[in-house]
Amino acid sequence: MHNPKQDLTHRYKYVRADFLKHLTGTTVVVAVLAVGLSLWFREPVRPALHIRTVATTTPLLFEKVAIGDLTGTGIIATYGPPYNDAVGHVQSPLQKLVGVIHPVNPAQDFILKPLGMVAVLNPQVASAMTVWQAASVGQREIWAANYARALAHARVVGKSVAVPAGAYGPVAPMMAGLLRLGQSGLMTGALNRSPADYQFDNQNALLFLQGAPLHQAAKKLELLGNQWGIIHEENAPYPGPWWMTIVTAIYQIPYIAHASGGDAVALSLGMLLFIALMVGPWVPFINEVPRRLRVYRLIWRDYYDRYEHPDGPPPPSAPPDDGASSP
Amino acid sequence: MNWTEYVRDKMGVLLSVDTWLPRDLPEYAFGLLYTLGSLTASSFVVLVASGILMAANGPQWWTVSPIGFFVRGVHFWAVQAFFFFMVLHLLRVYFSGAWRGGREKTWLLGTLSLLVAIPTAFTGYLMRGDFYSEWNAVQAKDGLNAMGLAWFNVLNAGQMYGMHVVVLPLVLSVLIALHITLIRVKGVVPPYPARDEDEAARRQEEGVAHAQS
Repeated sequence: MHNPKQDLTHRYKYVRADFLKHLTGTTVVVAVLAVGLSLWFREPVRPALHIRTVATTTPLLFEKVAIGDLTGTGIIATYGPPYNDAVGHVQSPLQKLVGVIHPVNPAQDFILKPLGMVAVLNPQVASAMTVWQAASVGQREIWAANYARALAHARVVGKSVAVPAGAYGPVAPMMAGLLRLGQSGLMTGALNRSPADYQFDNQNALLFLQGAPLHQAAKKLELLGNQWGIIHEENAPYPGPWWMTIVTAIYQIPYIAHASGGDAVALSLGMLLFIALMVGPWVPFINEVPRRLRVYRLIWRDYYDRYEHPDGPPPPSAPPDDGASSP
Repeated sequence: MNWTEYVRDKMGVLLSVDTWLPRDLPEYAFGLLYTLGSLTASSFVVLVASGILMAANGPQWWTVSPIGFFVRGVHFWAVQAFFFFMVLHLLRVYFSGAWRGGREKTWLLGTLSLLVAIPTAFTGYLMRGDFYSEWNAVQAKDGLNAMGLAWFNVLNAGQMYGMHVVVLPLVLSVLIALHITLIRVKGVVPPYPARDEDEAARRQEEGVAHAQS
């Protein structure tokens, strides 16, 4: 039985080398390579999806997202920690334990606060907001739910959304005002508002877009999770972040792809695989796999040719240190 | 224990010219396969250099300056080179059984470097400010939230910028530095014994076992 700690040769010699020239050489090679590739191929840029684009090109989709936020039935309203106390996307006890550390109230933060800004500039929206504020919570819910149902029969007229006549109260002018805000390009700024007014945090604009708008755009580019999306990149010749292939592959397993806690399972499994790689040297049998595979015979082919050949040089005396390269 | 004496003893070897600028190397540690680790480290140097240039000019430099766009390209291709050479290096050291001879920690630090390099690169993709950044951010948040890592808010570009240009590269630099230090101190793992050595070792072990029985 071999001991992996001692399973190494003791006969070899040191030869003269220029370590500094070697390191300089490899750095120059990589620098020339990166500069050359950047000059020749440039680099990938895939234009961002703006709220303005969604509001302009797909007004109905914009209003469906917005009404979901207002009624509390949208993805973020039902998400749970770290955004709110809902349970729709709670995948693990850990997620619950962390709690609400990035609080988001979609109705207030995504719809009513931006509409408050619109109201300053638009009297129709201001009147609608006054009616909304004066109404009971129950009445607001009825108006918003009616409007949400009506959107299924709505049509786009020019840049606006036309819904059949119904009991929507002030919701129709509010949604029209919000759509105009989206089309103006100002909604991203209305959503991303840090207390200091220095805008480093784009959480709310991304959360507003994160449902159907981003998913529809991603599907066309084959970027969805079940399309090996994470590792996809722009068209050739640009490579993607292929180093995440293993995690992406885990997402292709049907059980994980369709599990309610799929993200937690996929990432946990990926982390377990990585830990197995890290602790391999301490695991019996696993730490002997390379010796059994014998690929090392190719890596040190010259070495074995030299010392195993009948006419090879006589073995050198053992070096003073067990493999240490410091002479 | 005298702390100063302890550090002097340790640092004497660790910081010596013989450790960091050896004149002689073992005969088995030559060739292209033994250049992969150096190419990985060199890619990291190019990444840091191009990254410093970009950080000094702000995250949106590439959108307003052709030079900024070019430097972002250098950074993009350098990260591709970094992972390309790192994975090849990993394969070479794995098939070499490079943890033998008390080199387990060298392996552990190398794999840890790969583990930290992944979020380092990922946060870089979030800095592009294009569709890829938007999509990766909203997709990654669910997994991170599920793992109890919501504090690492991928939707907060300011936090991710700090992570990408300071925190994660610093951690990665320390891990790579420790990995290289152990390689220099412990040396490159020698080959598995040649056939005759192997046979002799087996015979000796069998002889010892026979004598004990």
